[in-house]
Amino acid sequence: MLSLSHTEVGMKQRKVLKSFLIAIFIGAFFLGCNDKHDDKSKQVTTQKNELEYANTKDIRNINPHLYGGEMAAQNMVFESLVLDTKEGIKPWLAQSWEISDDGRTYIFHLRKDVTFSDGTPFNAEVVKQNIDAVLSNRTRHAWLELTNEINGSEVVDEFTYKLSLKNPYYPTLVELSMTRPFRFISPKCFIKGETKNGVSCYIGTGPWVLAKHEKNAFALFEQNPKYWGEKPKLQSVKWRVMPDHQAILLALQKGEIDLIFGSDGDMIDLNAFEMLKKEGKYDVLLSSPVASRAILVNTKRPITKDIQVREALEYAVNKKAIAEGILNNTETVANTLLSKATPYCDIGLKPKLYDKEKANSLLEKDGWKMDANGIRNKDGKPLHLKLYYNAKNAQEKSISEYIQSNLKDIGVVLEIIGEEKQSFLDRQKSGDFDLQYALSWGTPYDPQSFISSWRIAAHGDYQAQLGLEKKAWLDTQIKAILIEPNEVKRQDMYREIFTYIHEQNVYIPLSYSRTKAVFVPSLKGVGFNPSQYEIPFEKMYF
Amino acid sequence: MRRLVYKRLILLVPLLLGISFICYGLVNLSPSDPAEVVLRVNDITPTPEAISEMHKELGLDKPFMTRYFLWLEGIIQGDFGISYETKIPVLIEIQRALPVTLILAGSSFLLIVFLGLSLGTLCAIFEGSLLDKILRGFVFTAMAMPSFWLGLLFMWFFALKLDLVPISGAEDFRGYILPTLTLSCSFAATYIRIMRNTLINTKENLYILHAKVRGLKKSLVLKHQIINALQPFIIAVGMSIPRLIAGTVIVESIFSLPGLGRLCVHAIFSRDYPMIQAYILFMAVAFILFNLLADVLVQWIDPRLRRQA
Repeated sequence: MLSLSHTEVGMKQRKVLKSFLIAIFIGAFFLGCNDKHDDKSKQVTTQKNELEYANTKDIRNINPHLYGGEMAAQNMVFESLVLDTKEGIKPWLAQSWEISDDGRTYIFHLRKDVTFSDGTPFNAEVVKQNIDAVLSNRTRHAWLELTNEINGSEVVDEFTYKLSLKNPYYPTLVELSMTRPFRFISPKCFIKGETKNGVSCYIGTGPWVLAKHEKNAFALFEQNPKYWGEKPKLQSVKWRVMPDHQAILLALQKGEIDLIFGSDGDMIDLNAFEMLKKEGKYDVLLSSPVASRAILVNTKRPITKDIQVREALEYAVNKKAIAEGILNNTETVANTLLSKATPYCDIGLKPKLYDKEKANSLLEKDGWKMDANGIRNKDGKPLHLKLYYNAKNAQEKSISEYIQSNLKDIGVVLEIIGEEKQSFLDRQKSGDFDLQYALSWGTPYDPQSFISSWRIAAHGDYQAQLGLEKKAWLDTQIKAILIEPNEVKRQDMYREIFTYIHEQNVYIPLSYSRTKAVFVPSLKGVGFNPSQYEIPFEKMYF
Repeated sequence: MRRLVYKRLILLVPLLLGISFICYGLVNLSPSDPAEVVLRVNDITPTPEAISEMHKELGLDKPFMTRYFLWLEGIIQGDFGISYETKIPVLIEIQRALPVTLILAGSSFLLIVFLGLSLGTLCAIFEGSLLDKILRGFVFTAMAMPSFWLGLLFMWFFALKLDLVPISGAEDFRGYILPTLTLSCSFAATYIRIMRNTLINTKENLYILHAKVRGLKKSLVLKHQIINALQPFIIAVGMSIPRLIAGTVIVESIFSLPGLGRLCVHAIFSRDYPMIQAYILFMAVAFILFNLLADVLVQWIDPRLRRQA
């Protein structure tokens, strides 16, 4: 009886199945038609005067006096008094300036044709309001020595502004040109005369206006119709937020985005970069070296406090193989902490090139004897070190593994530990590491802002240098360099500190990083600003 | 049944209090100093002065219990605190991200219910047939595939090769098609299995045999089978709604959808404690409420359970 009912049920059910499959087919057909139709209509309306750029991060809060936003976005909307270029500091919102003989007073003559995009005129009063707003939040800008040096800000006349300093602080103009905090926002955006607790709008004098922002989705920048300078050739830039690197690549291949731009593997990893380069369908550009990638060696730890061990490590790491094999030649080999192109850094330091024999003999002389397992020991303790890296950075992981094999060759056991970024930063601050990654900030921050940060306890550099015999001298010397008015003397002082750091083997320099750009061939005018954090959209066009 | 609902609602109060304390306490156990984190998140060098100023600003100089009660008081008044990172009220941030996640979770839910019911039933009807084997093959594959990989494969095939949908973004409904498919796949697989197995088990019941002996129409027998098989399905599906809301993180990241999942992951990485606390609390409440809802629904469908209660 049961088998009979099965047959009957079966016929009925086959009918159900048939109608079900038909329904799915019809549904899929309509879906497909609809999508294609939409795509066509989109193609007709899309004009190539909008650049679609993908970033893994949202622009966030672009208040130029704070640090919560993406610098590339802040740079699009807000401008500075002076501009840092490859040729040096040039006039920008200030058309000229005078520096007093004692280097303590700067008088800026402002352009008279500048207005904010809301129509508010740009004048000395606005400059003072902005600089006062920055200074009322001094502790937040402690990393930037200029904020500590300013002791007077006054309006001379409508278009003349005077800045007074406590000391003849030499990087004044460079620091005024930085993306933040000395950029100008319309006073109408201030809240109770301040900007430190947020702003009510993002109105600047720059070539772009933030027209629309949907958090974590996109930001639309349109050409500023009131812009005083040469207007951008593009009508708009759409900053799309795409957290996944693979999705960014697929979007580029599909033509949904036109440009990928970034440094240190944060936007595009090296394998993908190589693949796109080989594919030949896209244009790729590499900037000149901008920042330094190095390994910090902690001078305060039981094993690495020994200078001989630190020196052996310098010779044991094959940087050339890292630059060629892991970084695919997208970065150049670094033999000194800062490249010779960095101001004050072409001082003829003797490079410590890969030399396994020398590394071995240094350790041997220092009493580290190789045991039967190929591990060096001294006083019954093995030469065991720990290197920490940011687990999300694929490049750092590969480099760490390579260094691990390099050190194994000289009998050093290197334990490599990938950590979540915040834990990695916490470790920097506490100094709880033998070896750790260090990246300099690149131009225009190197060398002055970078060395200035060596004096701050929250930095890994400070922690790693704590075991140095002359650490106190180093900190005093850095402070003195920053306010040394005499160029020649300053150069000598820089030579002294960089030589000391080099001889003490605090850093194992690895490579000089470069900014990378991948874009569709129809996009022209792609280039780089001196700062790796800015993107010169205003020069791009189709 | 009304009594049951009231009872469960009253029990909610101590449960929520407990959850709120645990989630506030756990987040505060994290070794990172929130003040320093706030500074770092904003790219400010955490000097001792800046840290101490931030401590005062965040109220971290007050004792733990005082801070907890202040936080709880705020929540009762609908104030979940201010995001450390954006300085925007947490509630506004959540309200902004919630619709995207709800659309994604809602559409996935509908798809899961549809696929679970229809394919599960088909598998049970054609138990052991080729169709059943193919569908079960799909179920195993879909369950085993990590969603980030599946998402990228869908993206590559449907968006890049076939050019049917955009790669990413939530600017129109088409942006939700691939994320919905990706999110539904592993969930649907589970529910197809549940539906199939329960239906097959129900077949063996005496009342089905009785119905068949009485000569009832086949469709009527199937209807009874399905209604009886629905109970575990509803419980599982009911609990899947909060799981779907909580499980959107990866899909949202791959498809660049600005939803709650991404908001939470970002908050975790930047140690945005008020945001993390609000998210945990929100998810806990969602789990409890949907659990209650599923219980009520099951009792409503099955009078036997009502009588037991």
